[in-house]
Amino acid sequence: MKPGPVIELEGICVRKAQFRLLDEINLHISRDEFVGLIGPNGAGKTTLLNVIAGFERFSGNLRLFGQLENRQRSRRTRLRVGYVPQLFDIDLAFPIRALEAVMIGASGRAGLFRTPGKAERERAMHLMKMMRVDHLAGQPLGHLSGGERRKISIACALLQQPEVLLLDEPTANLDVAVQREVLHLIGEIHAQEAVAVLFVTHDFNMLPLAMQRAVFLNRGRVVFDGAVQNAWTGSALSRLFEYPIETFERGGRRFVSFD
Amino acid sequence: MIENLLAGFSEPSIRRALLACILCGAGCSLLSVFVVLMRMPMIGVAMAHAAFAGAVFGMLAGVHPAAWGFVFCLAVAGVLGPFSDRVRMAPENVLGILFSFLMGLAFLGMGILTRTKAAAFTLMWGNLLSISRRDLVVLTAVTAGVVIFIALFFKEIRAVMFHRRIAAASGVPERIIYYAVLFLTGAVVSANLSTVGGLLIFALLMQPGATALQLTYDLKLFFIISAAAGTTACVSGLLISYILDLPSGASVVVMATAIFAAAYAASPKRRSAGPAQRNPHYAKDSR
Repeated sequence: MKPGPVIELEGICVRKAQFRLLDEINLHISRDEFVGLIGPNGAGKTTLLNVIAGFERFSGNLRLFGQLENRQRSRRTRLRVGYVPQLFDIDLAFPIRALEAVMIGASGRAGLFRTPGKAERERAMHLMKMMRVDHLAGQPLGHLSGGERRKISIACALLQQPEVLLLDEPTANLDVAVQREVLHLIGEIHAQEAVAVLFVTHDFNMLPLAMQRAVFLNRGRVVFDGAVQNAWTGSALSRLFEYPIETFERGGRRFVSFD
Repeated sequence: MIENLLAGFSEPSIRRALLACILCGAGCSLLSVFVVLMRMPMIGVAMAHAAFAGAVFGMLAGVHPAAWGFVFCLAVAGVLGPFSDRVRMAPENVLGILFSFLMGLAFLGMGILTRTKAAAFTLMWGNLLSISRRDLVVLTAVTAGVVIFIALFFKEIRAVMFHRRIAAASGVPERIIYYAVLFLTGAVVSANLSTVGGLLIFALLMQPGATALQLTYDLKLFFIISAAAGTTACVSGLLISYILDLPSGASVVVMATAIFAAAYAASPKRRSAGPAQRNPHYAKDSR
């Protein structure tokens, strides 16, 4: 039996001045799904993630775990939704070491007047090991590379033990090897930790193998919602990006090519 | 010279001034951690002008100027966070607007005021030797409030200063913590204004945090170094001003700058971090 939806969006609209950033979005995401949110710049991908994460005002109905939500969230709901922002725009001089940055993910779950203990620290180290940055635990965060800091931000979101993980271009500005590695790790986490993933990207050739469903967003509207194999066609992608795009297969995987 | 110093400390007003200096150094320099790490250098000067405008308003209304200075500071602190969040402007830009508005308001009041303006100017320059017992009680309560706040909510404070959105997403009551920091800044600035003055507070809200930034990657140690640097600057500045008969506020600022310069020169963070550590995972993969 298919598990019930953890995210339900019905008629979600976001307006800024005369612009409609999101226009009547309807979307249901289940507990076992790994969904890719794809679209050109300005399509509304980050806005949609911000609506779900509780950082954007909206109209329409948003249900998380069956509960109707607005922008204000209870601590309990926040703990169930992990969020990795597009820009991990931290001050590189900020006095914090990599392990402490990951431990921020345990701050909310621990609650007020309680310091996260040994169990949380061990879990943080386990996540860092999964992300292959455990050897950097004692390093100042500002000394780490962009890719390593990105892995730290993902580990931080996972430490709060979310049931839904919102990832806003987690592989942006990373080199190819690190991109592949981060995607593989996110797929592993989806499988091992039973976390529903909503993943924003516009890199077609770097899709996680675990991604079964694609949602195309353009000008604030959902223009396609279905299986990845149906989405990854030259005609669908060309329509979405308004640019000639072709697809081809190699080694059982579909790739995208354009001029 | 030591006999002169000891004789000076037998004076109640000097003892009160020294105690006020220590409290001011501790309170302001603990807050300077927020000011430096959250990049809000304007907050000190904006709060000082809020107090100045409040004092002028109090004088016009014929009620206690310092109390109105306190009220205006807290009002600015109360408005700053929600306003910058609502209009999506950086707090530093909102502070710029508030600072210029309050300065305009203060000078407007000064133009209307026909009586002596000394009480309002005292808030800008301060007067350490005129500190009353009541001033000390307020200063102690506010400084204790800052210390207790940091001790109780350290992990939440670290999360909010690190990244407000990540803190909120992790379930930390990010807005409450952030607004509390702004509110405490208003309380500390207004409690210290009539004693050490707005200009000295501006220095003490920047330099101790900037000093700690040169020396450590550990946030707990950052708070301790900042408090030590601010208190040392205050006490040494006061002693130097007493011995050499110099203005106390200026002496404290010069000492705070000297401590910052020494920390900058000795900063281990400025030295090369050395070659990047080899990632054992990749090493394992490459075999």
